[in-house]
Amino acid sequence: MSTNGNALVEVEDLKVYFPIKSGLVMDRHVGDVKAVDGVSLEIERGETLGLVGESGCGKSTVGRALLRLYDPTAGKIVFDGTDITHLGENQMRPLRRRMQMIFQDPYASLNPRHSIGRIVGEPLRVHGRGGKELGKTVRELLQTVGLPADAISRYPHEFSGGQRQRIGLARALALNPDFLVCDEPVSALDVSIQAQIVNLMERLQDDFDLTYLFIAHDLAVVRHISDRIAVMYLGQIMELSPADDLYDNPLHPYTISLLSAIPIPDPEVEKRRSSILLQGDLPSPANPPAACRFHTRCPYVQPTRCREEEPLLRPLEGHLVKCHYAEDVKAGLITPRVREAVFEPGPQEPAYVPPVD
Amino acid sequence: MRTPLLTVEDLEVRFGTSRGLVYAVNGISFDIAPGETLGIVGESGCGKSVTSLALLGILARNGRVTGGTAMFGGRDLLKLKDEQLRLIRGREIAMVFQDPMTSLNPVLTIGKQLREPLQVHFGMDKSQADRRAVELLEQVGIPSAKQRLRDYPHQFSGGMRQRVMIAIALACEPKLLIADEPTTALDVTIQAQILELLKTLVSERDTALMLITHDLGVVAGMCERVNVMYAGMFMETGSAAALFSQPRHPYTLGLLQSVPRLDAGRRQKLMPIPGSPRNMLSPPGECPFAPRCRYEVEQSRQQVPPLEEIEPGHQVRCFNPVPADEWQRERLGGAA
Amino acid sequence: MSIAELESREIQLERPQGLWSEAWQRLRRNRGAIIGFGLVGTFVLVAIFAPLLAPYGPREQNLSLVREGCCPGPSADYWFGVDALGRDEFSRILYGARYSLLIGVVSVAVGLTFGLILGAVAGFFGGIIDGVIMRLMDIMLAIPGFLLAIGIVAMLGPGIWQIMIAVGVVNIPIFARLLRGAVLAQRENDFVLAARAVGVPRRTILGSHILPNSISPLIVQGTLALATAIIDVAGLGYLGLGPQDPATPEWGTMLTDTIRYLQTAPHLAIIPGIAIVLAVLGFNLIGDGLREALDPKLRGRA
Repeated sequence: MSTNGNALVEVEDLKVYFPIKSGLVMDRHVGDVKAVDGVSLEIERGETLGLVGESGCGKSTVGRALLRLYDPTAGKIVFDGTDITHLGENQMRPLRRRMQMIFQDPYASLNPRHSIGRIVGEPLRVHGRGGKELGKTVRELLQTVGLPADAISRYPHEFSGGQRQRIGLARALALNPDFLVCDEPVSALDVSIQAQIVNLMERLQDDFDLTYLFIAHDLAVVRHISDRIAVMYLGQIMELSPADDLYDNPLHPYTISLLSAIPIPDPEVEKRRSSILLQGDLPSPANPPAACRFHTRCPYVQPTRCREEEPLLRPLEGHLVKCHYAEDVKAGLITPRVREAVFEPGPQEPAYVPPVD
Repeated sequence: MRTPLLTVEDLEVRFGTSRGLVYAVNGISFDIAPGETLGIVGESGCGKSVTSLALLGILARNGRVTGGTAMFGGRDLLKLKDEQLRLIRGREIAMVFQDPMTSLNPVLTIGKQLREPLQVHFGMDKSQADRRAVELLEQVGIPSAKQRLRDYPHQFSGGMRQRVMIAIALACEPKLLIADEPTTALDVTIQAQILELLKTLVSERDTALMLITHDLGVVAGMCERVNVMYAGMFMETGSAAALFSQPRHPYTLGLLQSVPRLDAGRRQKLMPIPGSPRNMLSPPGECPFAPRCRYEVEQSRQQVPPLEEIEPGHQVRCFNPVPADEWQRERLGGAA
Repeated sequence: MSIAELESREIQLERPQGLWSEAWQRLRRNRGAIIGFGLVGTFVLVAIFAPLLAPYGPREQNLSLVREGCCPGPSADYWFGVDALGRDEFSRILYGARYSLLIGVVSVAVGLTFGLILGAVAGFFGGIIDGVIMRLMDIMLAIPGFLLAIGIVAMLGPGIWQIMIAVGVVNIPIFARLLRGAVLAQRENDFVLAARAVGVPRRTILGSHILPNSISPLIVQGTLALATAIIDVAGLGYLGLGPQDPATPEWGTMLTDTIRYLQTAPHLAIIPGIAIVLAVLGFNLIGDGLREALDPKLRGRA
């Protein structure tokens, strides 16, 4: 999908593999967790791209790789025209002013021993803006996110989860970035607080001209804030489409199954729904199925092509879909079947150590 | 309406902490009939989990039941001694917990953990118990059940472990199954499987199900009756159909307004509930929701409203309940 | 009412309290720790004010007292009795507190400093550096602490400074391991990732984010190491590897040769022994109390 050359972030065939090491005496490289396995996308200036998927799909890894917090194993990342894939720490530093991140766990994303003022002021100090105006800027930032100015001298443990996410937002906004990666920012919050934070983020996007990559597992939350949505499964994008279209007209079998699995707070609707139940567990990213990643659980799987040939991410009705038979699924030519459940025999998440830099 | 299996009245639970007394549950009453599904929905800290732990006598050491009764099979659970409760736990009332990663003992095989309730409550020997265990695993949809008995929890995924937990809970055919956030830690597609499994098993056995969760969607799909809990009290109770189409309590309305839904109209505006959940270090002296409530009246700040029937089978704890059609009007208006 | 106003009201309801003061509150309520503080406090005061408290000098001999053989036990003039050379045990114990505490503190400080640096470097940089440092630490840990200390003193020759170094070196791998573990755990925390995303230079991340959150186990271990150091120092002193001047009122040295007098003058062995036990007990109690007080699991979440 072309974005008219207005892309702030361009990703080309990104791969992020984490080595699995095992052995009695010496650790040998026995395989890789293919967390991200060929993701290409573009994020337009000013838009919100939602990135959704279940555990092990690689969405968080994509977000962190974009910020170069993980090193890409292959592929290209371009930020505002600059290829940042292989830049060193010193070259990245000035660019980091323009790309920031907010994290999922409000209890782990703030240093418990630093005061709020120090936390929010850190980006300013690191980039040389820590002069006399620092206190004033920090206070303004706190007010922007809806926190009282006297929070400056307090510590994270005095605040609730929702308040801590606001602090995280204030920190992310300190340098007036262009791009914000939001890694499941509301998943750990109570329902009534989630809405507060989502609304705040929408307002901030307007006020500060921000571009968002909104990573979440909750499709309902993502719908509210995103312009376009990409659905990921086992390290690849299965479908990419404008937000509302994804819900009104899902084309990929995984998207269809995912949508039908999400409960809706309305008993009448729930009763009338026919849900497509995916069977078995999510395959491990260390050992993904060959060819089409989804073929082991796909209710619409066909005897030809699905198990041998990896589908291309191709345009269809305004979406990008990675499926051989999407047209037939849409036309109702294939009836979904209940597949046999395959449960992974071994431990799901093999141990891996992400590289430090 | 069948005779209730469990009747709880005015349950009160307090915790002693270094920061003072926490008033976790402040007078809740409910009952549940055989084969019925009751949902208790609320956010974190509202006291919903504490309720189930109190009923089974497995509160933390600093927790104490300070009032109320819980009649089950003619006896008050809250007054029973531990030896008597032990005969009930697992046998007549069973529980499924939230985190499948930690609720199974990592050093015991699945087989051992499945056999335990069978041996304790039915006196089965190992081979009898093993046969029954294989049956149970098959019923919860785990293939190659016989070999699986010898596996350890870490060899199972989250979804599978939850199935095992359900198998253990249903091993002795309990009359009441309490499920505390059984799918919160699971992926959405796995959640759908587990909920479907629970629904099937429970209706096959005519087991009563008390489902505790914060997820309104889950409750809508699983429960016949719903109690909405906030700050240790029920704010609204009634049938799921009534509560979701005509919520009368401002908190229930607020929850429905703030939850993003799949079937919402184009970019429906989320209406958050302002403020944060109530500090539970003091006993409620006013309506606990008043500080965050758009509909509060003077009386809300003076006393705790009583839980009153607003129409048959539908109760609300509010001095100024929301008009019956308010939610529908908003929904239709928002979809335009 | 705006959200900010609602929330500021709630924040003011709770007194601001840093994490340290919360820990301090917990410590204050721990009876064992209070006893520990009492014991250690007494020894510290005794060590500082020894010249004022001791009725006699620590090396002052009064041979007339032992003319008929060893050795007069506790009496009104000599509260803890007198040793083989007519020196007042009580005064020597008081002055001895200085040696034990000083040597204990210095050696633990040495071990902690080097252990901290090695552990932080190993944990933060990982890879080969980590491998090499940790293997070195493993080798050191493979030798029982006391024997390692004896070995080092054997190399350096006996004396006060030498035993301080020896005990210090023995402590290095313990602290290094501990800190490395803490650093590894902290490294994966989101706030460290956030600091990297902001562009904070690596050494600042180590110094200002990771280390302050890793020192709790070090504080606990430091206190416990002090206890062990006192025993080690006393042991080395008893073996004659410590201060070579036998007149030195170091508790361990005071124990040398007292076996001979066990029947006639048991107080010579018992009293320094009790002093050592009480000092070690005090530090252990504090260490246990600190461990409980600083346990992150006990920290309440807002």
